[in-house]
Amino acid sequence: MNERETIELSGLGGLVLPYARPLLGIALALLVSAGLILATGANPMVAYAAMLQGAFGSVAALANTGVRAAPLLLSGFAVGLGYKAGLWNIGGTGQIYLGATTATVVGIIPLPVPAWLHLLLAVVAGFVGGALWMLIPAYLCAYRGVNLVCTTLMLDYVAGHLVSWLLHEPSPLAEKGTFYPMSPPILPSARLPILVKGTSLHAGFVLAVALGVVLHLVLRYTPFGFRTRMVGENPEAARYAGVDVVRWILLVLLICGGLAGLAGAGEVLGLKLRLFDYFEGFVGFEGLALAIMVEGNPLGIILAGIFFGSLKAGAGKMQIVTGIGAPMALVIEALAVLFVIAIGFGERGGFAQRQQKKTRGKEG
Amino acid sequence: MDMSSITNWLQASIRLSAPLVLTSIGAVYNERVGIVNISIEGSMLVGALAAVAGTFFTGNVAIGTICAMTAGGLLGLVMAYLTVARNTSHLVAGLALNFLALGATNMGFALLFPTERTRVATYPVLSPAELRGVPFFGPVIFNQTVIVWIALILPLVSGWVLYRTSWGLNIRAVGEHPHAVASAGLSVFRLRYVGVILSGVFAGLGGSALALTDLGYFAPNMTGGRAFVVLAANVVGNWNPIGVAAACMLFGAADALQLRIQTFGSAIPYQFFVMAPYLVTVAALAGFVGRVAVPKTLGEPYDPEAI
Repeated sequence: MNERETIELSGLGGLVLPYARPLLGIALALLVSAGLILATGANPMVAYAAMLQGAFGSVAALANTGVRAAPLLLSGFAVGLGYKAGLWNIGGTGQIYLGATTATVVGIIPLPVPAWLHLLLAVVAGFVGGALWMLIPAYLCAYRGVNLVCTTLMLDYVAGHLVSWLLHEPSPLAEKGTFYPMSPPILPSARLPILVKGTSLHAGFVLAVALGVVLHLVLRYTPFGFRTRMVGENPEAARYAGVDVVRWILLVLLICGGLAGLAGAGEVLGLKLRLFDYFEGFVGFEGLALAIMVEGNPLGIILAGIFFGSLKAGAGKMQIVTGIGAPMALVIEALAVLFVIAIGFGERGGFAQRQQKKTRGKEG
Repeated sequence: MDMSSITNWLQASIRLSAPLVLTSIGAVYNERVGIVNISIEGSMLVGALAAVAGTFFTGNVAIGTICAMTAGGLLGLVMAYLTVARNTSHLVAGLALNFLALGATNMGFALLFPTERTRVATYPVLSPAELRGVPFFGPVIFNQTVIVWIALILPLVSGWVLYRTSWGLNIRAVGEHPHAVASAGLSVFRLRYVGVILSGVFAGLGGSALALTDLGYFAPNMTGGRAFVVLAANVVGNWNPIGVAAACMLFGAADALQLRIQTFGSAIPYQFFVMAPYLVTVAALAGFVGRVAVPKTLGEPYDPEAI
């Protein structure tokens, strides 16, 4: 068995630089993708140059990258925080749908309050919506030991169709007489402000980055963060140290759901300004992918989220220049994740090892 | 509903459940060996494209089917390498492979068929015309394509293999107690590899059933999460090939019903029928519907040195 060898290799990667592995993974992904672009008959250098231009080449391009990164960051935090507590939240999609829905409900009702308060209420509603959608899986996981992955994954699909039903007449949330199901527009008082005139860059991006920094500080320097990491790394020790692990799992999961709910709220209140049928795309799953690439670290999620956002933003320009667009961005994302995990995720202190420790603990 | 619309609905139920049933054949094996494999969604998708491409270039549906099973199996092989040999997280590996399959099939489709929606030959109906005219059984069973028949027979074969052969016993044991299998002198790694590759092969077959049953073309993301319904069926059917196939048919029937409701309308919104499989699964997992016997080491890595 060559297992020892691989552990040493990945250990080296883990020690040299904390981000060596994701960076190497991304580099390899770009290399292989260049080969794929070549195979389609286009010039990879031209394609990547177009992508860079489309993602960072102008104010509009930068704004586009920011807009696309915003929901990815929040959806990434929703996975990353859980990951730190040893929990797999695959329910980002569903929580995003529900967060967007509750934010929309508050955002389309004219409230007799100042604009800033209306916006704040809509954002809070988004958080609550996402958290509520997590309530059943969180309860089942914390109190009855039901597999979180299965329940959150199944509820993702329920959420999409539930929201679809809410957007079809005779639902009061449905806009009448439209060709595509959607809600009435968000009132101006509940919209996130645009940061750069003439672009669609809304405050959601800056708020998401700030939230990531806060999350990093909280995880690293506060009792909440310490306990969360302890529950993730060694639940027995956490229990011994007086943490109510069951309640802690419930609490952390609800916050995870809320964070994903914020991603949905941001999309509706900042960018789309209406709730559209099946608007989510793959943001929930992409958040999962990028959070795992950086092992759930909030600062890493910010960087990885901006990278994924730039791929999506740059894909449009690449489409115009070379004829290959959005699918290529998805391929690069997928290859980056595959290389990162193949380089050595699961060995040194990764999920697999922790899981093993837990199983051994159970048996012993 | 009158008799003819019931017959019509049952026929559609069986037809729509065929891709699910075929995919479930392999999915049972990979879960039985302890691997959570969401990449079967990706295998279905590459299978669908490979089936259409293979049939397009050779004009032969059988060759298209073989292409589909090969393509799905190759994705399964990568999944097996990542999860069995490299011990990576099953979920993340599967997710990344799904993204890869989605992006790659989109690109491949655009390259192979620059003009939209190229139609290819579909699976033939083999039964003689007299049988198709039999009331009820004619339309529901006999007037179905050959792939639907295969989907009706395979679960029985799969059940026999899993419960009546010694190889099936090995497969069942790996997921329950890998160390016992190892001490009996069998290779846990090899059995797990086989289980995961099989799931890719059959998901590819399921994909070909989806593309070549009555459509005869590929559309980007045409699987649309069907493999997740199969994973749900695994829970509801208790990881028993026949039970899982029955659950797939039930979910297929719900799908056929919601399509009819979308056209004809009903008191219950059609979205609830689409949701039903997932809700039933959550209820089953929560222990509200019967007892769920999850393979013991499902989703866990195998460490040969741990006791």
